[in-house]
Amino acid sequence: MDLRSLIAPRVIVHAHCDIPCGIYDPTAAKVASDTVAKMVEKITGATGTDTASHNTFARSVQVKEEHAQICKKELLILWTDYFKPEHLEKYPKLHETFWKAAKLCSKNKQNVDAAAAAELQAAVKEIADIFWATKK
Amino acid sequence: MRPATLLFRVAVTGPSMEPTVREGDWLLVRQLRRRPRVGEIVVATDPREPARLLVKRVAAISGDAVTVVGDRLDRSTDSRDFGAIPSSAIVGSPVLRYAPFDRIGLVR
Repeated sequence: MDLRSLIAPRVIVHAHCDIPCGIYDPTAAKVASDTVAKMVEKITGATGTDTASHNTFARSVQVKEEHAQICKKELLILWTDYFKPEHLEKYPKLHETFWKAAKLCSKNKQNVDAAAAAELQAAVKEIADIFWATKK
Repeated sequence: MRPATLLFRVAVTGPSMEPTVREGDWLLVRQLRRRPRVGEIVVATDPREPARLLVKRVAAISGDAVTVVGDRLDRSTDSRDFGAIPSSAIVGSPVLRYAPFDRIGLVR
């Protein structure tokens, strides 16, 4: 038996908080949506035909794909874990807002569309504004 | 849950006692056989789930009723939600954080 397992506690004490995990922040979704918009810009503006340019292009596509997915994941965490029924009472369009934002993540994965990227940024901002308003 | 020994080890989970103790801290807890004092950190059984131990700080004592709250008020479920706990629910008081290595120190 190693030292670590020898001294490890067998009892858990809970510095408990009912809100699971506790730390919620829309910033991650915002960074992801901004990244998607930036990648759309890079993909659209790509001109080079050499290998390095192809590589950059492929990476931009991949990063766009990844961050659209990250954005969706972060939004779903806020939607399903942070927001509570009482928030819904105050913001009756909350579900619709999240649903549309999540759909926009998918749209941005499928397409290279500056308008869709801007829509996603706006949707994330709207959610962030609601989030911070609930923190006041 | 009552420990068999005067000193016992516990592992912390949850954010409510940050920054004093954090998720992943290992503490040495001394059984408390005297009355708790205001301001000290205690390990107590959860009144809503008696099989579970909580770690909180004593905010007030009124007769046998002990009000416990987390150090991090915005991330804590405590007496503000479940009310004061009886002093008999208090099991011990952490004295030492013995892991992780860079956080070794007295708990107060």
